Amino acid sequence: MADGELLIRNGVVYDPINGVNGEKKDICIRDGKVVESVTNPKVIDAEGRVVMPGGVDIHAHIAGGKVNAGRIMRPEDERKGVEPKTKVCRAQSGYSVPNTFATGYRYARMGYTFVMEAAMPPLAARHTHEEMVDIPILDNAAMPLIDNNWMTMEYVKSGDTDLLAAYIAWMIKATKGYGVKVVNPGGTEAWGWAKNCDLNDAVPYFDVTPAEIIKGLAEATEKFEMPHSIHVHGNMLGHPGNYEMTKDTYDVVKGIKPYRDRPTMHATHTQFHSYGGTTWGNFESKAGAIADYINKNDHVSIDLGSVILGDTTTMTADGPMEYSLYQITGRKWTNHDVELETGTGITPFLYSGKVSVHTIQWAIGQELALLVKDPWKIALTTDHPNAGPFIGYPIIISHLMSKKRRDESAESMHKAIFDRAELPSVDREYDLNEIAIITRGMAAKTLGLHEHGKGHLGVGADADVAIYDMSPEEKDAGKIQKAFLNTKYTIKAGEIVVKDGEVVAAPPGRTIFVTPECDDKLMDEMLVTLKDKFAKYYSVTFNNYPVQDAYLPNPYEIKAPWRSS
Amino acid sequence: MQTITLKLKDAAMSGIAQVPVEVDALTPDKLFGKSEAELKAVKVWWGNKQEATGDLFDVSVAGDAGSADEVKIVMEGDLTRVKRIGDGMKAGEIEARGDVDMHCGAMMEGGKVVVEGNANCWAGREMRGGELVIEGDAEDNLCAMYRGEDKGMTGGKVTVNGNTGELVGQYMAGGEILIKGNVDRLAGLSMRGGKITIEGDAQWPGPDMIGGEIVVKGKTEMMPSFRPDGTESIEGAEYKKYLGDLAMGEKKAKGTLYVR
Amino acid sequence: MVEVTDVVCSLCGCVCDDIVVEVENNEIVKVKRGACSVGKSKLLGHERIKSPAIRENGELRECSYDEAIKKAAEILYKSRRPLLYGWSSTVCEADKVGVELTEDLGAVMDNTASVCHGPSVLAINDVGLPSCTLGEVKNRADLVIYWGANPSQAHANHMKRYSYVSKGYWTAEGKKGKKMVVVDVRKTMTTKMADVFVQIKQGYDYPVFSALRAILRGHEDVVPDEVGGVPKEQLLEVANMVKESKFMMTFFGMGVTHTGARHNNIVNAIQFTRAAHLHTKANIMPLRGHYNVAGINQVCTWETGFPFAIDMSRGYAWYNPGEQSATDLLYRADCDAAMIIASDPGAHFPGESLKHLAKIPVIQIDPYANPTTEFADVVIPAAVSGIEAEGNVYRMDNIPIRLRKILDTDYLPDEEILERILTEIRAMREKEGE
Repeated sequence: MADGELLIRNGVVYDPINGVNGEKKDICIRDGKVVESVTNPKVIDAEGRVVMPGGVDIHAHIAGGKVNAGRIMRPEDERKGVEPKTKVCRAQSGYSVPNTFATGYRYARMGYTFVMEAAMPPLAARHTHEEMVDIPILDNAAMPLIDNNWMTMEYVKSGDTDLLAAYIAWMIKATKGYGVKVVNPGGTEAWGWAKNCDLNDAVPYFDVTPAEIIKGLAEATEKFEMPHSIHVHGNMLGHPGNYEMTKDTYDVVKGIKPYRDRPTMHATHTQFHSYGGTTWGNFESKAGAIADYINKNDHVSIDLGSVILGDTTTMTADGPMEYSLYQITGRKWTNHDVELETGTGITPFLYSGKVSVHTIQWAIGQELALLVKDPWKIALTTDHPNAGPFIGYPIIISHLMSKKRRDESAESMHKAIFDRAELPSVDREYDLNEIAIITRGMAAKTLGLHEHGKGHLGVGADADVAIYDMSPEEKDAGKIQKAFLNTKYTIKAGEIVVKDGEVVAAPPGRTIFVTPECDDKLMDEMLVTLKDKFAKYYSVTFNNYPVQDAYLPNPYEIKAPWRSS
Repeated sequence: MQTITLKLKDAAMSGIAQVPVEVDALTPDKLFGKSEAELKAVKVWWGNKQEATGDLFDVSVAGDAGSADEVKIVMEGDLTRVKRIGDGMKAGEIEARGDVDMHCGAMMEGGKVVVEGNANCWAGREMRGGELVIEGDAEDNLCAMYRGEDKGMTGGKVTVNGNTGELVGQYMAGGEILIKGNVDRLAGLSMRGGKITIEGDAQWPGPDMIGGEIVVKGKTEMMPSFRPDGTESIEGAEYKKYLGDLAMGEKKAKGTLYVR
Repeated sequence: MVEVTDVVCSLCGCVCDDIVVEVENNEIVKVKRGACSVGKSKLLGHERIKSPAIRENGELRECSYDEAIKKAAEILYKSRRPLLYGWSSTVCEADKVGVELTEDLGAVMDNTASVCHGPSVLAINDVGLPSCTLGEVKNRADLVIYWGANPSQAHANHMKRYSYVSKGYWTAEGKKGKKMVVVDVRKTMTTKMADVFVQIKQGYDYPVFSALRAILRGHEDVVPDEVGGVPKEQLLEVANMVKESKFMMTFFGMGVTHTGARHNNIVNAIQFTRAAHLHTKANIMPLRGHYNVAGINQVCTWETGFPFAIDMSRGYAWYNPGEQSATDLLYRADCDAAMIIASDPGAHFPGESLKHLAKIPVIQIDPYANPTTEFADVVIPAAVSGIEAEGNVYRMDNIPIRLRKILDTDYLPDEEILERILTEIRAMREKEGE
């Protein structure tokens, strides 16, 4: 944290959470926070340039067991992005699975200052934290997977929502996590037997359906003042025709009241869940149907999972989906099932503009953004690295802002885009205010981090600022893309970390975690069952399981009390 | 024709250790157009420090070149610890007078490299074009891929007069390899294109192949997962033809193996 | 006397974490339960290096930590191609400093995987690894295959905690509901326990895997009557066991990693697992030797992009085992100085490699004297991780567990020794005005 004073003068500020929409405004910083005024600051001249709060990424796979398994499996990806160390920066490597140092530097150069690690297998939470500590500059958090867990399924079956809530509280505390992550609920447990489930199939042996799991977890999560809702990667990801199941998944939580003004479910990488057709042959976009649902309902928020053309690495806790992907491509494949909890699958994938299916997938990611009317319901993601590496965000930004750019790209892609996708017929162009919403404002609000200084530049906010080297009037897609790739300045906690696109300082970030609070008696009752599981089925002891404080050298805690009805 | 002679100074290899010198900066296309003084100043990696070429090599230049094609580099001295000769080369010629260290001719795109001696591992790694001739033996991983890649050699022509180690042409996708001697285990592992001709013996050729062609003129110890597919006459000699590798499943087994 | 529970063993890749010990007067006096005999022996302690020392005129002279650390820094700072080797018997926190040191020096960093399961990592580079955590095996596996491994002796708790003898959710009957196949070149204590013992001709695992794959893919017609010393009937028998199982787990060891086709044996073992996956749930796992060799692979990978044999001489990582693995560097006399930490090349490396190691300046960081101490030029004794120093380690299935600190000590932990060496090196560089 820089004690000094900083004044960002004359920038054109986009701070959607505070309703600031392209206003010429000074930003004053002292002691790492935005303040009302300063007396003797260092001055940054942002005349004629776009100024936004530091980017907030709601969903990326950047730290932990599966990310590293992706790296180990792909030395050929690692050698692509090598950069020698400098006085400030450690050596870098990787393109779709960069090393931790490159991850921090490259995000910071794009003006991002917070990234949410999308999926943390609880038994390996220490690994996620070890890697997050090694990501420079960015503040971070991670969401533990709590949906294929045996405890979860058993409580859902017995209808013990309060005990499920106690389990959620214990898990989030034990893993120093942020909220409840759901990935292919029930299906990844079934994958322990090489099977899968769709939304209404009974999970073998546990005899609950994914729909019941989602509902139970949503209800239990809302027992707390939890900053973020359940975060859901639904069943049947990636299958042609899955859009109906996607809408059904959204319906599952429709009646549940969230604790505050936020959705009851954040549905992630929606591109992968918006598929029509019945086979890869008649595959088509159903982004319109999903967008329609989102337009008509307020209980679900989404993020795009937008495709970046090129080679990337897919990695999710959706073990069966990854297996079927590997069966299609024949490329290498890693799998890692985690006892009593979840699983992982990893396989490389090449998105090619010459392939009809990939072209339509590419269109869907953008259609969702353009057809959903309220940008406050959307976050820009690529489900890094599944639909593409985060370094491609500026490409998506430039496409959303420029119909001309979209048309140019479509010309060199498969003709299927004209009859099995909607994108060519969409004229809408995002403006900078909307871009600011989907790259920082919405994510901060949906995660509840706007109450903890993120995603905005009001007085009291963290002094995390991105200054883009472009005029607010810029319409050229190429120039927009270039500007969003490397900032003129990135400021983190009041310290200049990027200048003219180069990293000039690399202080460590903080790990934000949530502590749900629950009645001791309830907790003790739950612990009897949990300890029994440890004694009989886990391969580590109960006492060795929780993440020790030593793994979070820079912690920031958010309490989530039990809601008084 | 311009000939650049680079003779490794004895001092380079006379220390307590023989730290390899890496000469990827010294290809005909990279040196074309440089004066002798400029040449001597080109930096090469020697362990964790960069040194001037003139400090490690005796340099002499004869003649002129109108393009990189007309540049010939002659390398002399103890080359057993000189790595990356011809790495990424696009044009011209390199003549290495002696045994050379690893990665000779790796990622070559054009031009010709001749090794008057043996080549260490990974010679011709990921070759894309051009020609590589090894007059002695080659060690393991001749023309193989880089770890993790699903394509190795994609073009070019490689000839080894002697024997090779294991894993010749691993993940080969194109180009031609001729081995006049014997190969060790697993030549053509995961091959998907191109052609390997082995005039000597081979142990377990073509495992996991899904395309491409291997011909073994000497004795072969076969993999247990290939299907016999009759016989064929090649250059007047009779060969047994096999399709494989069925360990990959029928659909993928599009590789062809000819053995005597 | 104090009883300490949930003690984590810092010996082999099993990383058993339910050990109970008794501590009295800052000494572990009894190991009550949970440890195998080898783990027990480590916990109870034995002879160790008493003091830092520098070799002068052939003899080790005792000195202070400061002096030894300065000397170590000097040796490394002057080196053109330093090798930093070992890392598998220390904690991740120390490993991270090691990576920083490697980057700072432009050194080569390698770990014991090079002589152990490095081939398994190479196989993962090529084909990935279908695997799971050990608890999955405990709860689900009804067919356990040990290939080229003898866990009865090398990983003594493995079968009773995790695989064959263990009882779990769907395996409440233990051994009774399971089948075990052991593949080896000779009879061992483990082959004696097997339902089926497949005896393979030394070096012939590779074609046996391919034959099994062809059979599992429906092409048994092309497989000859005998492959690698194994009769076709036995191959068919094993294939049937695979098809009839509900969850098949293969563990493999040094028998396949360093003989015959070496790392390609492991590629083939993984391909065999995938072929099996057409019929049943099939996973595979290397039996990692040291308790944190998986950890050094993990740390190196997330910090540099690559798991071992990393050459940072150009300021970024270049990965090519076989070129920069420690044994190769030494065999070829490539490196001019070495730091050996938490490992024992003196006992494990081929003779030719050791000849060169004995010639160059060597720094050893270890709690215990071993053959490497015989020729080390600087010896720095470290605190024993898991007894005197805490820290993170990764079990053979890549699950992270925190080692506990049970006893106090005046010996410095690896992490601190390395940090001080790094600080000295940076001070030297600044002084030289680079």
